[in-house]
Amino acid sequence: MRMLLAPLAAAASLASTSAFAVDYLSAEQARRLIFPDADSFEPHDIALDASQMQALAANGVPARSARWPVQVAKRGGSTLGYVVVDEVIGKFELITYAVGLNADGTVRQVEVLSYRESHGHEIRLPAWRRQFIGKTGASPLRVGEDIANISGATLSCTHVTDGVRRIVAVLGLARRTGALS
Amino acid sequence: MKRNTLSLAASLAVSLLLPALGAHAQSAATDADLAQKVDKLSAELAALKAQVQASPAAAPAEPATVLTSYGEINYNRPSKKPENAQADVRRFVLGFQHRFDDKTKVVTELEVEHGVSSADDAGEVEVEQAFIEHQLMPGTALRAGLFLMPVGLLNENHEPTAFYGVERNFVETAIIPSTWREGGLQYVGSFDNGLTVQAGLSTTFDLSKWDATSTEGAESPLAAVHQEMSLAKARDVAVFGAANWRGIPGLLLGGSLFTSNATQGQAGFPSARITLWDLHARWTPQRWDLSALYTQGHISNTAELNAPLVGSATLIPERFEGWYVQTAYTAWTSGDQALSPFARYERYNTASRYADLGAGLTPDALPTERVFTVGANYKLNANVVVKLDLQRFKENKDNNRFDLGLGWSF
Amino acid sequence: MLGSSDPFPMPRLMARWVHAPRLLPLLVAGLLSACGGSADTSVSTPQEAPLSAAAALGEKIFRDASLSASGQQSCATCHNPATGHAPANALSVQLGGPAMDQQGVRQAPSIRYMSFNTAFFFDGEGTPTGGFFWDGRAASLAEQAAEPFLNPREMANTDKAAVVAKLAQASYAAEFKQAYGDAVFNDVDGAYLRMTLALQQYEREDSEFRGFSSKYDSFLLGKALLTEQEMRGLALFNSPTKGNCAGCHPSSRGADGALPLFTDFTYDNLGVPRNPDIALNADPGYVDLGLCARPDLASHTDLCGAFKVPSLRNVALRGAFFHNGRFKTLKEALTFYVQRDTNPEKWYPLNPDNTANKFDDLPAQYHGNVNTTEVPYNRGLGDTPALSDSEIDDVIVFFHTLSDGYTP
Repeated sequence: MRMLLAPLAAAASLASTSAFAVDYLSAEQARRLIFPDADSFEPHDIALDASQMQALAANGVPARSARWPVQVAKRGGSTLGYVVVDEVIGKFELITYAVGLNADGTVRQVEVLSYRESHGHEIRLPAWRRQFIGKTGASPLRVGEDIANISGATLSCTHVTDGVRRIVAVLGLARRTGALS
Repeated sequence: MKRNTLSLAASLAVSLLLPALGAHAQSAATDADLAQKVDKLSAELAALKAQVQASPAAAPAEPATVLTSYGEINYNRPSKKPENAQADVRRFVLGFQHRFDDKTKVVTELEVEHGVSSADDAGEVEVEQAFIEHQLMPGTALRAGLFLMPVGLLNENHEPTAFYGVERNFVETAIIPSTWREGGLQYVGSFDNGLTVQAGLSTTFDLSKWDATSTEGAESPLAAVHQEMSLAKARDVAVFGAANWRGIPGLLLGGSLFTSNATQGQAGFPSARITLWDLHARWTPQRWDLSALYTQGHISNTAELNAPLVGSATLIPERFEGWYVQTAYTAWTSGDQALSPFARYERYNTASRYADLGAGLTPDALPTERVFTVGANYKLNANVVVKLDLQRFKENKDNNRFDLGLGWSF
Repeated sequence: MLGSSDPFPMPRLMARWVHAPRLLPLLVAGLLSACGGSADTSVSTPQEAPLSAAAALGEKIFRDASLSASGQQSCATCHNPATGHAPANALSVQLGGPAMDQQGVRQAPSIRYMSFNTAFFFDGEGTPTGGFFWDGRAASLAEQAAEPFLNPREMANTDKAAVVAKLAQASYAAEFKQAYGDAVFNDVDGAYLRMTLALQQYEREDSEFRGFSSKYDSFLLGKALLTEQEMRGLALFNSPTKGNCAGCHPSSRGADGALPLFTDFTYDNLGVPRNPDIALNADPGYVDLGLCARPDLASHTDLCGAFKVPSLRNVALRGAFFHNGRFKTLKEALTFYVQRDTNPEKWYPLNPDNTANKFDDLPAQYHGNVNTTEVPYNRGLGDTPALSDSEIDDVIVFFHTLSDGYTP
């Protein structure tokens, strides 16, 4: 199976690199950075139904799409946490980033995989990303409140922060409804 | 892309199956083979599906060409002279960014000022930006063409959604001539310590076009001699640099320096050097937005430049400067909406020193204007803003006014 | 090095620059490039290129007194190259006619720097601009050159044929035929036209007509210093609250680096007093209305009394000022400017009640056209004049820097 998968995997990986840009980290590298202790990552898709989407929107965090691919970090069979790779548009360009969450749904780490905007490279700095560590579904997760802005890159900061808030909400809902177990 | 890979897989599956199907006349052992093969294929297909769907769902398609725009529609009503009330489509800007490949894009902006541009109307149409940006490595890029100068807080971020108050502040229009653009080559580097460095060579001003009979030079000395890369004299080359540090989230500290000769080798004009520098800071803790800026400009050899103009209304100043402090607070938010009252105090002088021309011939320094602005920005969403403010002028009290503005940016 | 008057170099003002030898090559290079550049207004150098055939003929025609009825008057008689191509005498108006005893209607102006003028037009704001003669009636140098030959008060030829006949007898007639064809004198209109075109070419090509060789030009090009008094005069000339002369007589270089012409080729109505020296003025019904006397501008009654702003280059070489030559010295002329309204009794005849009969050279219904709003004419009876007596002297000293042919 592995041998045949290789050409297919090649075709698939072609699809993945063109689907999101990689300037600094690949998705795989991001996963390993966030969970260095994990010995395996299992893909697990979250599929939200209409009522769940509505519930999220009602709480002020629209889910944007029903399907959320998640990589579950496991060590020796127990779940360490989750990694979601997502893309948002900064001002004009795509920003690819990864959010790592602990098993309890709190934010563990945020990594920026690619950044193409002319301004705002500072969102890649640990100092800015560190602000997300420990955030929960109850945190405001808003620029200008608990997340500091980067002068000149307001839209990039806002959209990435919105993305993190969205991922936290979606995974929070998925954990509560058992969709992740 | 996903569809292509799926169809590739499907056609692969079909091409693998067909020869298998074609051999239906074979033995029962071949049937078992077939069943096995089909199982294998469906497993591989499922795995392939999983691989393909590992890419993010509903990811926004990477646009190659992005249309950008911003606009300002303003209303000003001087309180002492209501007959000078004015409504103006101050700016209408259309631009595009087109990405050629991973590393290269073109950025352009075209601006129409004051609504109607013609021989009989006050408006102007101008190219505000037109440059190619090429990424050398992640975080390092080169720009070539007509670009905005990295000076101050406003010049590079001058969209109506990016500043408080209906009109741009005076320090960054009269002293730093926003929107200031030059043509040339610029290096942009972002470092892991939060420092962004910009530096380069560019075109510059033309001091030989100073008009001593008009008041333009007293309103803004550098704007009176800017060339906007329109049939610009280019004998003189400017060197500029800017450093901005954003190592601590929410804090920006930075400065810039620009210097060049500016008489462009014109016959009879002595060489004269224009230098402009600035220091600025911005801090945005929680809902606050605090900023401060100081800038100073110098022109050398102005005694020789002014000698033939002696007695005229507006001579070339030796020194001009300004500073401001501004406080804004996001008092209310609801979803995407936000209301941010602000206050700003600015002091500037477009001619704080004139070179000595002799007794009775040296003009007096101009008085320092002080402007106090208080108002609020209401954001309907991140891209649309309604602004309102009151401005009080210490020197030219006739300019005291109420302003209202609508702006968008995307 | 700085002229005959004793210079007082300004502190920190150019002294080092002027004496720095390494800058001279740069300046010369700048001059040469200026010469070759688009602006015609470079500081003069000796005639580099020879005159074209037409211009060479034009020069001969310009100096040829035989083309007049009297045989004594050529263009150069009134437009004397030695005095800025303007009259060398102090007559209010020049004498001409077959016996050289007829007074002209208006003073003969300087015709230097006229190649920068254009045909008459109303600009975007309705300001009358351009045109040759005091009333702008000629559209080009050639058109202007055509009139004096036939003016009974000037060269007084009866008609074009008479002029062409004289041309055919001139010493350069063979060259004329060489340039324009052997049969040229057979076509009167054609020959006359070519004669005026030759004069136009001469006025355009000969650097004497656009020398830019005054002390002020050298000062603008960084090759000379002005004295303290000259600088004071320049400051008063430029100041919008003192002389405000630069308002119509620009003194600064153009945007393209062009040296100033000291005229913007527009028109102004100064209410100059009537000149009893002009015989025509003995008839109280006679009046020179300037612009609106032109048939094509007869309906523009707001322009009655307006005359062309002349260039002030070489003004110190002239003997009589304004369109009617009313004033004979610069001191008189400048004092008139600033005291016209503060002390009108000095300039105009007195009425029976001892008030001044202001603007007596203009019918009463046109008195409103006179410029009374711009500095320095915006004063009233008894006000302080815009320039004091010594300030006027300073301006006059500055005027002397505007004469071509300055040598350090």
